[in-house]
Amino acid sequence: MTSLRIRRGGRAPVPEATQGLVLHSDWQRPSVRWGLGGAQLLLLVLLVVGGLGPILWLAKSAITPTQDTLIKPIAVFPHGVDLSNLSNAWTQVDVGRYLLNTIEIAAGSWLSQIIVSTTGAYALSVLRPKWGSLIMGALLTTLFVPSVVLLVPLYIEVVHPPLIGGSYVNSYWAIWLPAGASAFNVVLMKRFFDNLPREIFEAARIDGAGPLRLFISVVLPMSKPILGVVSIFAVLASWKDFLWPLLVLTDASKQPLSVRLPTIQGQTDLGVFLAAMLIACLVPIVGFLVFQRSFLRGSGLGGALKG
Amino acid sequence: MAAIRFNGVSKVYADGTCAVEALDLEIGEGEFMVFVGPSGCGKTTALRMVAGLEQISGGEILIGERAVNDVSPKDRDIAMVFQNYALYPHMTVAQNLAFGLKLRSLGRAEIDRRVRDAAAALDLQDHLERKPKALSGGQRQRVALGRAIVREPAAFLMDEPLSNLDAALRVQTRAEILGLQKRLGTTTIYVTHDQVEAMTMGDRIAVMRRGVLQQLGTPEELYTRPANTFVATFIGSPAMNVLPAAALGIGPDSLLAGFRPEHVALGPAADGHFSFEATVEVVEYLGDERIAHLRLGERPLVAKLAVEQQLERGSTATFSVAPRSTIFFDARTGAASGAPV
Ligand SMILES: Nc1ncnc2c1ncn2[C@@H]1O[C@H](COP(=O)(O)OP(=O)(O)OP(=O)(O)O)[C@@H](O)[C@H]1O
Ligand SMILES: [Mg+2]
Repeated sequence: MTSLRIRRGGRAPVPEATQGLVLHSDWQRPSVRWGLGGAQLLLLVLLVVGGLGPILWLAKSAITPTQDTLIKPIAVFPHGVDLSNLSNAWTQVDVGRYLLNTIEIAAGSWLSQIIVSTTGAYALSVLRPKWGSLIMGALLTTLFVPSVVLLVPLYIEVVHPPLIGGSYVNSYWAIWLPAGASAFNVVLMKRFFDNLPREIFEAARIDGAGPLRLFISVVLPMSKPILGVVSIFAVLASWKDFLWPLLVLTDASKQPLSVRLPTIQGQTDLGVFLAAMLIACLVPIVGFLVFQRSFLRGSGLGGALKG
Repeated sequence: MAAIRFNGVSKVYADGTCAVEALDLEIGEGEFMVFVGPSGCGKTTALRMVAGLEQISGGEILIGERAVNDVSPKDRDIAMVFQNYALYPHMTVAQNLAFGLKLRSLGRAEIDRRVRDAAAALDLQDHLERKPKALSGGQRQRVALGRAIVREPAAFLMDEPLSNLDAALRVQTRAEILGLQKRLGTTTIYVTHDQVEAMTMGDRIAVMRRGVLQQLGTPEELYTRPANTFVATFIGSPAMNVLPAAALGIGPDSLLAGFRPEHVALGPAADGHFSFEATVEVVEYLGDERIAHLRLGERPLVAKLAVEQQLERGSTATFSVAPRSTIFFDARTGAASGAPV
């Protein structure tokens, strides 16, 4: 037991939890320190340049006069800052409205995905109907159908919905409803529910919870981590989806940014266009940074069970 | 408070395992009944059938006057304490205690009163606003108990509630549960595989083995009049010595003789006792007594002796047992039988 605390080099002991794959004592060796340290630095630089670079360039170009961006794309503010791009984007391109459209579409898609995946997974994992395994098998097989194959049938269904009549073209339902039909989300959610301890559900049933109460007061609050994951996937996928909204939303005033921006690229001043792009990117990035803490932390099961 | 009755209750799992077989048993109002037996004997299954968490394959369970076979768990008016506590991880202690009461739409004031009373009884007042993960094992265990007592149910069902506690805490909590049960007078079924727990806690004990009830009785009855060799060796520590009566020269081949280690005396037979010579293999010194592991021919034996009685390892000595401390069993069935004539 005490041997855990012995460290060479006389440094203060590092708590076990902070130890990485490479032992503290190994870091003391120069070859390890320089080799591994150098590799880490190189990786970090590559990640910053490759991942963060384009976004930073976009942010810079959005507030640079168009001429500067065209002539010296890499130079940092050769003739100062031009904030008018941002305001022009808002007024000329009407980014605000398309941003709202995008948010509305994303929110609806998110809601429909969450409702379908949680209730579906709850039924399959906890309530376990008689034909549950059959339904699960059917769900799994749909995972193997590429979405491109579904494009045409889905479009026909949206233009002429069976039984209901009418048409969903130019209605957000055309995006929200198909978004909910995601087998992947249900499977992901079911896997998570499967691993929740049954005894807690049993305790709740004895405490007097019916299926709905069990779902709302026990299962959902215990599933925050997976709800976070599905939410992030749902919002990001909806935010950047191009093809489907382009097909079903022909009315320009209803289109999201992802469809609108490419369409107007030709007629718009480059600086203004880049500013509009920046606004389009910023929202999900900020959203992710705000919510990641509450979504992605530990599973929240601590202390529920012993042994 | 209600009596619970098992009328020929069986449980066969989907895979064909027969976990409980034709169980007949009545638990009186306010009684503390312990189900005990080795691992896999069907104790948990029997308990879960009372709770309604497991379908009853055959027979009938009555709580009070009502057959509950088709009654859902929440309408059976029982509360269960799980082995791993099964607390709601996202709720504070107070919310954990109040959850069942809210679902039964009790008034705010009544809920508050019951939660406060339970917290006081279990010494949880200072932790009411904490989540389970911020509690120690013993505290979690008390929350699980609290969640049962706030409901003021007709019966408590407890499935090895102490098995995750360390030895000292287990003894203390054992006394607390017993005190609580006696004060509330609530009918209780308590499942354990620990015979010491069973003996110290139960008003009556049901000993089970492979799904079959072996004997039902008070701790004293089980100890002094075991129904068969299984109960005889399962209850009591060290276990009862069971040998062929013929090996001791006190009966025919068809009988087994059983006697408890504390009834073995060192020294030759006196006034009607029978005696045997055995080799001393190991002697354990326990401070107030010595446990001697002996060998009679090929058969191991255990004797509990006073500390003053010194025995050399490897030596041979004479031991004696009073006939009235000896119980006879049928060698073929293992069932208790009368003394040979
Ligand atoms: N869901 C199940 N499906 C099939 N067999 C089961 C199931 N649950 C339990 N069993 C079997 O039923 C028998 C009794 O199990 P049970 O859990 O009641 O034992 P137990 O007496 O509580 O044991 P322990 O002291 O180990 O908890 C065992 O043989 C077990 O393997
Ligand atoms: Mg068990």
